[in-house]
Amino acid sequence: MPVIVMASPKGGVGKSTCAVLLASEFARMGADVTALDCDPNKSLTRWASHGLPKGVTLHSDIGRSEIVTTIKKADGDGKIVIVDLEGVASQLVSRAISQADLVIVPMQPTALDAEIGSEALALVREEEEALSRTIRHAVVLTKTSAAVKSRVQKELENQLRGAGIDMIEPSLVARAAFSELFAYGGDLTSMLNNPEIVTGGKVDKALLNATAFTEAVYERLK
Amino acid sequence: MSGSNRLAGLTARPKDTGPADVRKVDEVGEARGFVDRTPRKKPGRKPSPRTHQLHPKVFPGVGEAIAAEAERRGITQGQLVEEMWDVYANKVGIGEQG
Repeated sequence: MPVIVMASPKGGVGKSTCAVLLASEFARMGADVTALDCDPNKSLTRWASHGLPKGVTLHSDIGRSEIVTTIKKADGDGKIVIVDLEGVASQLVSRAISQADLVIVPMQPTALDAEIGSEALALVREEEEALSRTIRHAVVLTKTSAAVKSRVQKELENQLRGAGIDMIEPSLVARAAFSELFAYGGDLTSMLNNPEIVTGGKVDKALLNATAFTEAVYERLK
Repeated sequence: MSGSNRLAGLTARPKDTGPADVRKVDEVGEARGFVDRTPRKKPGRKPSPRTHQLHPKVFPGVGEAIAAEAERRGITQGQLVEEMWDVYANKVGIGEQG
């Protein structure tokens, strides 16, 4: 099954959030998910320390020398591999991209995120050429406003679409529940059903957003 | 979104994983600034666990003989003193060193 890689040389754009949402939602769909935490900040490992959802296996501390073999080992029929990368331009990132079926470049709707994120998009295209293989890639906007689409976001979307870049819809809205997943572990459904978990936001809305996002990613894997 | 049947259609696709392919990917990445950022190990020798200092004054002949023996065996004078202590401790029956 597919290898999905979260890549952007910029930190704090939402790579780990995308990875956690996809891992938990695909597991909920019945997939056997292997998540690889290649980020020195260990966000996925912190999430897992509070409890992993059923169907998700996590491998931590994957470095440059092990990334290709670890992905190869984890990849197989009936499995989805999700790779969360560090927010820097490194060989670990370029090697992980070479093994991807889909590269997701998360970016907040800001000019800086778009500029730095475009480095990852350019790298994917160059690797496609070097490996003579198509590596599907797409941008997802993160931490967007639930209420209104800002002028900057509209302009950025138009620019990216104009450049022929695949945009994943829906974007990931700034939801407290997404960040609180790292504090409680598990998935949004368990968060929604556990009355002891007090969140600062609407978990049901977050779950709808995550489900629609995962569905859009699934469409790109077929 | 429901069921694993939909996911069953997604199959593993072969990728290039040989050393030549990895080298090619590294070259492409390095040209764009995606370089090896693996943390390097701290250079230099590790600090010795022997932290206690002895500074006894002995007759010059004894001091020179201890230095020469340590030199001959390729150990430090401190290690030689530790061995001497072991022999002494065993002889008088006061147990392990340290």
